[in-house]
Amino acid sequence: MLSFNVQIKPGSPAYEQVIYAVQKAFLTGKLKPGDRFPSVRQLSQELRINPNTAHKIVAHLTAEGLLQVEPGIGTVVQKIPSGSAQDKSVLLNKDLERLVVEAKRLSLGLSEVTRALEKHWEKIS
Amino acid sequence: MNQPAIRVEHLSKHFRANEALKDVALSVPPGSIYGLLGPNGAGKTTLIKILMNLIDASGGRAEVLGTPSSKLNWKWFQKIGYVSENQKLPEDMSVAQLLAYLQPYYPSWDTKLCSELLQQLDLPVDRKLKNLSRGMKMKAALLSSLAFRPELLVLDEPFSGLDPVVREDFTKGLLGTVADSSGAVFMSSQDVEEVERMCDWVGIMKPGHLFISEPLDQLLRRFRRIEVTLASGDAPKIDWGADVLQAERSGATVNLVHQHFDGEATLTDLRQRSRDVTTTDDSPMTLREIYLAIARVRTT
Repeated sequence: MLSFNVQIKPGSPAYEQVIYAVQKAFLTGKLKPGDRFPSVRQLSQELRINPNTAHKIVAHLTAEGLLQVEPGIGTVVQKIPSGSAQDKSVLLNKDLERLVVEAKRLSLGLSEVTRALEKHWEKIS
Repeated sequence: MNQPAIRVEHLSKHFRANEALKDVALSVPPGSIYGLLGPNGAGKTTLIKILMNLIDASGGRAEVLGTPSSKLNWKWFQKIGYVSENQKLPEDMSVAQLLAYLQPYYPSWDTKLCSELLQQLDLPVDRKLKNLSRGMKMKAALLSSLAFRPELLVLDEPFSGLDPVVREDFTKGLLGTVADSSGAVFMSSQDVEEVERMCDWVGIMKPGHLFISEPLDQLLRRFRRIEVTLASGDAPKIDWGADVLQAERSGATVNLVHQHFDGEATLTDLRQRSRDVTTTDDSPMTLREIYLAIARVRTT
């Protein structure tokens, strides 16, 4: 079992999909500083992805400062300055882009999209 | 250890008049998992049999771990694991007997890994192989090929006919072992999704030919589906150039498959091919879509 959720879909690199999922888990508090992060082997087995890809994922997250390899313990989730609102909003970029593309395809205006967005926002909060 | 695990150049094979392989070239880098896709009868098994020195090539070169495949003998097979689709096993032995029988032949046999894999693959040690299901037998064959941490593991259609649970056990056992060693894997498969997840190198065969052989990342980046909208459904036919593998037109919409996509430069090129082009919209392709697009191109 992994401590974060990811359903890998074909068509875009598994590498990007997993990194995105981990960043999201970190910002939403599912992964906390001090948590053990799966090894390359576990990551590869659990997600059934290429070990080289799993290695690249861990290396990327380590370089970003999210993970640190602690000798004798393994890979541990780090405490980084709490994500600013701007950092967090980066996670939405892809979804936002998709929304804009769809809206333009339907030739909706920005104000119509904003209104629809507000409606959904209120439904949830 | 930086030499390729497998290197094939100008390889050909004919059975009487039938050309099973024509000028095949590929290279499997050390530490990679190479997935060979292609329809039945494309020549995947023939290629693997040449690599495993089970049949001779008609021409060209095939090297395995730096040695011509025709020179491979028992010494080399202490470093090479091979599981074929219809793997023959000594049916009267139990799983435990099989492993005890094989171990002395392999100096690098890892007893600890072997018992881990037994547990992970959920294999009954005391049952005779002839009383095991096909999936169980495949797992036993995989286990006996992984336990000595081969420098190269060759799998011919490992997933065909396996149920989803066995398949997952099989994949996890394979990936776990590969993650811990530096060995390369070369496998033929019909399962495009599994290959897209597990492999970092992909080969695509069409009967006799190896059409594609490159890193998966690169392949997924350079293939692109592009939807072009024309000013009107009556616009004359447009020449999209040699990089477009497929162009399906329906009225004013054309769906293109581009094989050397380079972002804005490609889109600009397409727009300049006709003044009827109004918009272009590009999206990435899955390995399955790429495979199908290649399968439909007529080989010249």
